This record gives sequence, C-alpha cells and structure tokens, in this order.
Amino acid sequence: MGSNDLQKQAPNIVVWVLLLALPLWLPYVGGYMELGSRVVVLALAAMALNFLLGYTGVLSFGHAAYFGLGAYGAGMTIRYLVPSTGVGLLVGTLVGAVAGAIIGPMIIRLRGVYFAMVTIAFAQVFYFIAFRWNSVTGGDDGLTGWTRLPIHLGFTTIDILHNPVAFYFLVLAVFAVAVGVMAWLLRSPFGRTLIAIRENERRARFLGIPVDQHIWISWTISCAVVSVAGALYALLNNFVDPRALYWTQSGDFVIMAVLGGMRSFWGPLIGAAIFVVLQDYLSSQTENWMSFVGLFFVLVVMFFPRGILGIIRRKVAS
Amino acid sequence: MNDIKFSRRSLVKAAALAGVAQVASPFVLTARAADNVKIGLDNPLTGTYAAVGKNELIGCQLAIEQINAKGGILGRKAELLVEDSTSGDAGTAVQKARKLIDRDKIDFLLGNVNSALALAMAGVAAEKGVLHIVPGGHTDAITGATCHWNVFRVCNTTQMEANAVTPSLIKNAGKKWYYITPDYAFGHTLQAGLEKACAKNGGTKVGGDLTPLGTTDFSSYLIKAQAANPDVIIFLTQGDDMVNALKQAVQFGLDKKVHLAGAQQELEALEGLPPEARIGTWVFEWYWNQPGVPHVAEFVAEIKKKTGRVPTARTWFGFASTWTCALAANGAKSLKAVDMAKHLQDFHLPPEIALMPDGAFYRKGQNQLIPNLYVGHAQAKGSAPDDLFKVTDVVKGPDAAGTLEESGCKMTWPA
Repeated sequence: MGSNDLQKQAPNIVVWVLLLALPLWLPYVGGYMELGSRVVVLALAAMALNFLLGYTGVLSFGHAAYFGLGAYGAGMTIRYLVPSTGVGLLVGTLVGAVAGAIIGPMIIRLRGVYFAMVTIAFAQVFYFIAFRWNSVTGGDDGLTGWTRLPIHLGFTTIDILHNPVAFYFLVLAVFAVAVGVMAWLLRSPFGRTLIAIRENERRARFLGIPVDQHIWISWTISCAVVSVAGALYALLNNFVDPRALYWTQSGDFVIMAVLGGMRSFWGPLIGAAIFVVLQDYLSSQTENWMSFVGLFFVLVVMFFPRGILGIIRRKVAS
Repeated sequence: MNDIKFSRRSLVKAAALAGVAQVASPFVLTARAADNVKIGLDNPLTGTYAAVGKNELIGCQLAIEQINAKGGILGRKAELLVEDSTSGDAGTAVQKARKLIDRDKIDFLLGNVNSALALAMAGVAAEKGVLHIVPGGHTDAITGATCHWNVFRVCNTTQMEANAVTPSLIKNAGKKWYYITPDYAFGHTLQAGLEKACAKNGGTKVGGDLTPLGTTDFSSYLIKAQAANPDVIIFLTQGDDMVNALKQAVQFGLDKKVHLAGAQQELEALEGLPPEARIGTWVFEWYWNQPGVPHVAEFVAEIKKKTGRVPTARTWFGFASTWTCALAANGAKSLKAVDMAKHLQDFHLPPEIALMPDGAFYRKGQNQLIPNLYVGHAQAKGSAPDDLFKVTDVVKGPDAAGTLEESGCKMTWPA
C-alpha cells in the first residue's frame, strides 16, 4: 500500500477504530452504551439518505416513512409472527425496501422541491396509517408488548436485551454490512454514474444513461438501508410509535446529513453524532436546548456549507 | 511547519476552542454525589405537554425538599435528576430513561405525561428492573394489559374517569349521549370506556363523530349533534381542539339547550379557555379547593410560596409520585426494587400526601393508585381567580376503579 493509499484510507481507519473501541472510551467522556448505539443507528439512516442526497443529488424529505416501516416491520414481526430478532430485522428491511421500490416509479420523474414534497406526502400517508390503525399498530400509544430477543447461534446465545455492549456490537455489525455495500456501490461504475447524474443530469441523459432508472435504483437502495436503520431503532427502543414515521423525523435525517457534510461518505456519521450528543447533553442543561441545536445548524449552514467534515477536509488539503 | 507564529485567525480559533471546552467540560465531569438516593424524572419540559410537565416537576421538587427535611430516604439525602423527554419523541424518552438508569444510577424512575412515552419508559424500567412511577400518563394499558410488577401509576386510568363521571351525568342530565371524539387511540379508548359505563347505568348512545386531530371548525359536527337530539354532548377533544369545540358550542347556544360534558379536565386547560367557554361537567383528578380536608391548605400554601400559583392535579401527581419513592424505600428498609414494589402492594398513602377525603392506595396486583375523583363543572368565575372548577361530587376510588379482572392486568413477579 503506497503512502497515498494510506492517506486515503486514514479516515476509514480512524472511524472504524473509534467505533470498535467505543465501549472502552465512551464511559470516560460521560456517555453510556445506548447513546453509542443510537448514534450508530441514526448515522446509518443519515448515510442512507446521503446516498440519495449527496451522491445522486436528489433530496428526499420522506425517509422517515421507510425508517418507520422498517421499525414497525421489525416490531410487528417479533410481536405477532416470529419471536426472533434476526427475522424481525430481515422483515423490517424487506418491508421498507419493497415499499420504496413500489413508490419509486411514481416519483422519480420529479425533481427538486416537487420530489421533496411528494416524498413528504407519501410519508404522511404511512404516518396516518400507523396513527389510526389502533388494533394493529397500537396507534398513538405505540407498539408495545414485545422486546428484542437473545440471538441463538447454535453454539452460543448472545443476550442482546440485557447486555448493552453486545447489542451495540450487533448494531455495529449490521451497520458495517450496510455501509460496506453502499461504499462498494459508490466505487462501482454504477456509483460513478450516480455522481455524473448529480453533477449534470442533462449531460448524463445525452450520454445515453437511463437517468430515471438509475435514480429509482438509488432511491430503492437508500430506502432499504434506511429501513435497516429503522428496524435497528425499533430494537434499540423496544418500542415503535408513529412519530418514527413523521416528517419531522425525516427533517432530522436531512439535518444530520447537512450538518456533517453531504459530499463526504462519513459526513452524516459525524452529523448524527453531533446531533445526538448535542441533543442528549444540552437537553439535560436547559429546556431551551432546541434553540441551541437550531442555532448551531444555522451557523454550520451559513459558514460551512459543506458541513463539519467539509471544513476538516479543506484543512487537510491546504 | 518551519516556524511557529500566531496569526489572528488561529488566535480566534484557539479562543473558540477554549470556549467550547468550557461548555463541554461538564459533559466529561458528570460525577454526582454517590451517596445520594437518586430519583430520575424523565418528563416533557418542551412541546405540547411542557406546561403540565413543569407542574409535575414543581410537585416533585417540593416533595424532595420535604423528604430531606424529614430525614431523607434510608437516612440518605434524596436528589432529583431531571431530563427533558420531549412531548412526543419516544426515542428520546427511552434514551433519557437509559441515561438516568445506566449512567446516573438512579434508584427510581418517574414519568411520563405522554401515554406512549410512559409505555415506552415502562418497557425500559421492566428491562432494567428499576422501580418506575408514572405520575400522569392516562392510557389504561400502563396498569392494564401491559402492566409490570415494578411500574406504578398515580393518575387515573381513562376508564376510571369515565366510570366516575357517568352516574352523576345520567342522574342530572339525561340518558341520551352524543360523542365528539378525537380520532386517535386516546379518544377511541375514552369513548369506549364512557359507552361501557353509560350502558351500565342505563344510558344510550344516540350518535357520535370522530374528529380529525387539529380540527378548527366544529360547526358541522355540532349541527349534527344537535339534530340527534341528545341530552348530553360529550366532548373528548383535548388541547386546542377542545378550546375550539367548546367556544363554538357556546356560539351556537348549545350550552342553553343541551348538557355539555366530558371526562378528564385540567386546571391548566381551563385557564387557557375564555371565561364564556368554561362550561360543562368534567372530572378533576385532584383539586386545590377542598375545604375541610386536612393538610390540603398547607400544601396549597407551600406551592403558592414557590410559584405564586395554586397547585394543579399535575403538581399533586409529581408530589405524590416522589413521596411514594421515599415511603416505599423507608417502609421496605431497602432500595431493592422487588422489596419496594412488594411493600407498595395495597399501600395507603398517609393523609398529608394523599390530600383527599378518603385517602388513596396502590391496588395490589395492578399497581394502580385508587384515589378520590372530583366530578363537577367548570365555572367562569369562582371564589378566587384560580377557582375555575366547582366540585359537586367526590367519587370514591373503589367505586370508579372496576375490578382487578376488568383492568386486564396479569402481573408476573421475578422469580
């Protein structure tokens, strides 16, 4: 590996070392294990959104729908069908991905603000279904009466319910697979094509690239990954309520992506970490914490439009 | 880098970094006094439920002061840790509950105003085996279908409120009821509860409408309701929806023709209503104006000294919940959740905490507090500016609570 390669790999190495060693250093900075799990889960959701926003150039304001579908899919599977964490995760992911794949063709021809508005509209449809269908989803009271269950591997059983560190590593493993797939896709010719579409859609079209089809695939992948995050989120809370599908949740994902830097792969992870930790810390100090989170976001957007990671990158480059 | 020099820019940056470090340091140094007994309150301080959440907080704070003045919990000082759960985000509420339990090592968990958040927190409490007291989340499931051995509740279930108001409504207003109900889980359960209680007392439902959350124009519902010719129109709408519905009912002159009523009502909500819309028959879960009931006047005076306002039912919820923690620990002589939960079975709150004519107790096998309920009517003007409710009937808790079987709670204790 040349020194150039090493420099390129440096951010990846730093991120993975920090994440893998999290249980060792988090307690010393006043954190607790579930905070780490929450950062990783929401980071996965923000990175999934960024696959679409940062690398395809399409802004979705309705990703909470697929996040929530993943969450309800996982929760309802464990509650009603099969008492198994693994099956719950799988079904949650499938539900979100299939919903995304079906809704995709209806919206991919739209661009810009129209695309964002229609994604919100579809998200609200799912929100109201979850909110109103009391007998199945528990409505506003949320889906209760279930918990994540120990994972049986044949030779051993991992108690992810009572051992927060074990659960963190489950989350991290799923995160690694999902992020790995996204990174691999972005390095492939398919990923390069997406970036070409982002940079200049008309030129891509003239080059003979089936743009709508590419956006549809990108959208479906993004929905699938965000529903993985949703399923993990349900397992993290042992609870799902319609708020997970609400448009403010979509807004939070966009904020995380923009905060961290939507042109960089790890940006949304940084954004999610800042968002979650800031919220966790400030809201214990003052009840006006939302003003501070908002102010911070405004400052970042005004002065560092490429996000936190954008500034660091520029520093390294100069 | 060959030579080191400070540019203006790097100086500014260093200053900014130093500033950040100032703010960030408490996050690093969060060690709290280890020998205190900690009560963690995870309740809304922002959003829709901020006002009621803060009133519960005030009640908790007063209780902590009193507990410490009387020797603390097992001889140790009681300390209240407060986290904002937000008014609707279950993820945040759950995360804060875990933060309090895992990092701050609390001995008791309190919360939440929002029923969904209370259920989610009860899940965490059950997972971690921490004694959890729900001051003010009303959904039946908390001490019903999803009850837990370590989760107790101070406020009433929606069914208890329905059972409390029904007999006097049937007697004084009539048997034909019409419902205006918000279209979500809370409204549906409340209406089902009232229908059940109404039928039991010989009443009938002549019609009803489900109104979408956030309805501003109730005129079509009110016209329809009037056409059904009921004796009573039941308003189950909450918050702004209730304000709009009641205001429009008064504009239509419905209050002159039909009896207007509802189930749960709160002083916080009546304060928000214009005087002409303070009408109808309701249930209060606690009221500050209880002449002749011992200790109530002292409690009201102490809260008034703290805040300048009278306590509401919410203030009392917080007060009673926090005191329950101390009484459970001191009574069981232990901070082990199982011992304390066992001690609280059929536990009667002492009169200076219960602040009710017939007292209040945690029903065995359900962990639900069975208090008095106050049926009466809202009034535009009372004896004092804060006196917006006229209590006509004080219902005994056991009469409103139904049987243990009806609650649907099947409690399992840890082996």
